[in-house]
Amino acid sequence: MQKYISEQNLNTLIDTLIAAGTRVVAPRMSAGIPLYEPLDSSAEMATDLLPRRSAKEAFFPVCEEIMSYEKEGQQIKLTDVDPARFPETVLVGVRPCDAAAIPVLDAVFSWDYKDEFFLERRRKTTVIGLACTTSDDACFCTAVGLSPVESRGSDLFLTPLEGGGYACETWSEKGEALITSNSALFSDLNGAAPMPLAAPQVDKIELNKVKAWLDEHFEDPLWDGIAVRCVGCGACAFVCPACHCFDIVDEGTEKAGKRRKSWDACGFWKFTHHASGHNPRDLQPKRYRNRIMHKFKYYDDKFGQTLCTGCGRCVRICPVGIDIAQIIEDISRKD
Amino acid sequence: MSTQPIDTSIYTTITAAIRTEASRLFTAGEIVAIVGYAAARRKGAAQPIIITDAAAAETLVFTESCVNNLAVYLTKAKKEIPKNGKIGIIVKGCDLKALVGLMGESQLKREDLYLIGIPCAGVLASTAQPATELTTETIASKCCECDAHLPLGCDFVPSIAFPPGPQLESRYSAEIARLEALTPAERWAYWKEQFAKCIKCYACRQVCPFCFCEQCLCDRNKPQMVDTTPRPAGNTAWHIVRAMHLAGRCAGCAECERVCPMDIPLNLLNRKMAKELKELFDYEAGFEVNDTGPLTMFTEKDDQSFIK
Repeated sequence: MQKYISEQNLNTLIDTLIAAGTRVVAPRMSAGIPLYEPLDSSAEMATDLLPRRSAKEAFFPVCEEIMSYEKEGQQIKLTDVDPARFPETVLVGVRPCDAAAIPVLDAVFSWDYKDEFFLERRRKTTVIGLACTTSDDACFCTAVGLSPVESRGSDLFLTPLEGGGYACETWSEKGEALITSNSALFSDLNGAAPMPLAAPQVDKIELNKVKAWLDEHFEDPLWDGIAVRCVGCGACAFVCPACHCFDIVDEGTEKAGKRRKSWDACGFWKFTHHASGHNPRDLQPKRYRNRIMHKFKYYDDKFGQTLCTGCGRCVRICPVGIDIAQIIEDISRKD
Repeated sequence: MSTQPIDTSIYTTITAAIRTEASRLFTAGEIVAIVGYAAARRKGAAQPIIITDAAAAETLVFTESCVNNLAVYLTKAKKEIPKNGKIGIIVKGCDLKALVGLMGESQLKREDLYLIGIPCAGVLASTAQPATELTTETIASKCCECDAHLPLGCDFVPSIAFPPGPQLESRYSAEIARLEALTPAERWAYWKEQFAKCIKCYACRQVCPFCFCEQCLCDRNKPQMVDTTPRPAGNTAWHIVRAMHLAGRCAGCAECERVCPMDIPLNLLNRKMAKELKELFDYEAGFEVNDTGPLTMFTEKDDQSFIK
């Protein structure tokens, strides 16, 4: 189903949803940086800004409580967090690279263990993607087989039109339901042409060749060459829409506290540090190798797709300028 | 004040000079490696590189995108860099102050290093795209109060006549003055909002030349001194630990602030501590190796007014 919605009506839709108690998450400025955050009103929405972190946190928060404990004498009381209390959510203005990462996360969080925290938020969220009309030279969605109009992961997909408003395409029952229950805000397409789309200046990379090389080169001088500069922070993984590692810790006192889950990153020295003191990934190139292997081989081995959507965030924020697009392109050219 | 361009034409000459010198050093067998900068894929971008032979000397560059403080690669925290001979390193004045600090803390020996100093007119702010022209707007804040355009005590510095540059307005002192004028409650509210942005990626720690602890206190869990989750308690504790541990040591390279993906103005904390150190101990980071840091030495002249 293809419909038209004006900017004003989109704002009305957002404000109506907020008034009805739905959590509406969209790009907005937050203490000086753009982030996907719950809106108080449609006026806060800033879709022209690429949020500094991806949309994954709508399902997989930076940090969340998963249980709490209290101890009195010999009695220990454990209280689970009830995922049923997670709010109905509409995620608006999601970049195609962020939306495309959602099915990638679905596969992991519903694989051998069903992560109810992720899955319940996922069930309760409708994703409204938005085509990109601007890009920079860190963007490389086109290199990994996606595009500025990729609708994968979106329930509804908006394409900005010449003269204002959006073409709104339905990609799921959730998306259809949102249109049906707000049908007065949508009308038939008026024949306006889409705005010129973003055109990332990166050629498509043959990911099957990347994977074939990685299959055979766990040990290779390449890793030392590219990762010697890596300083071992977690910035790339934390801004990535597809990275999904987390740590679980208990915080509090002996008497009472909470068990929390928070983002973790394979770039950290501590990530694979064993209780024995041994660390199988003792040097940074081994950790950086894992980043590339997981994205372009291990994940592909398990789920038949790539763990990278070319958003370019890691390229933009890497403290030492490590450029994953360059790395996979170089690998794709190897014999 | 209107935006004015900053002349970076000297960087072309500097690039040529460091390539020639690097090539000479390898050919003469004086060094085993050089830590420098090379061009990266994105237009105008540069990234750190470690080269080990004369042939690679041609990859070295110096531009306004050469923002990193490469001193971090020489610390014991970076085990990946072979330290089996004399190492050359490209240093701006601010970077050199960090190396000098590391020498003062017995982390590096001067005789193990070959210092290639850069006469520096400034580098780009982290908010600027790499291909941006260097102007009074796009220049990094640290460069606006730089007193180290020409590093001293290096083994090699390209001889360059600095073109006259525009007057730069200090940003940190203005912001520190603004924060100092707030009430403690307002100031606390400001920092609470800033620390709330922290996602504990530890980029600030990993790029800091002075964060060379082989196991950071924050990575220890027996006992767990600092909460690891990105929440108010652990975030605040981490940033206070960081600021305090750097007081009297931080050389002002502002790498922590540059790399923060959440734009937390971390260097404000460092500048404020530096200001206190200057007032209390007449100490500031410089080019002279000093093995008695202001907070590691007691003298009878030390301020004791805090004892009440």
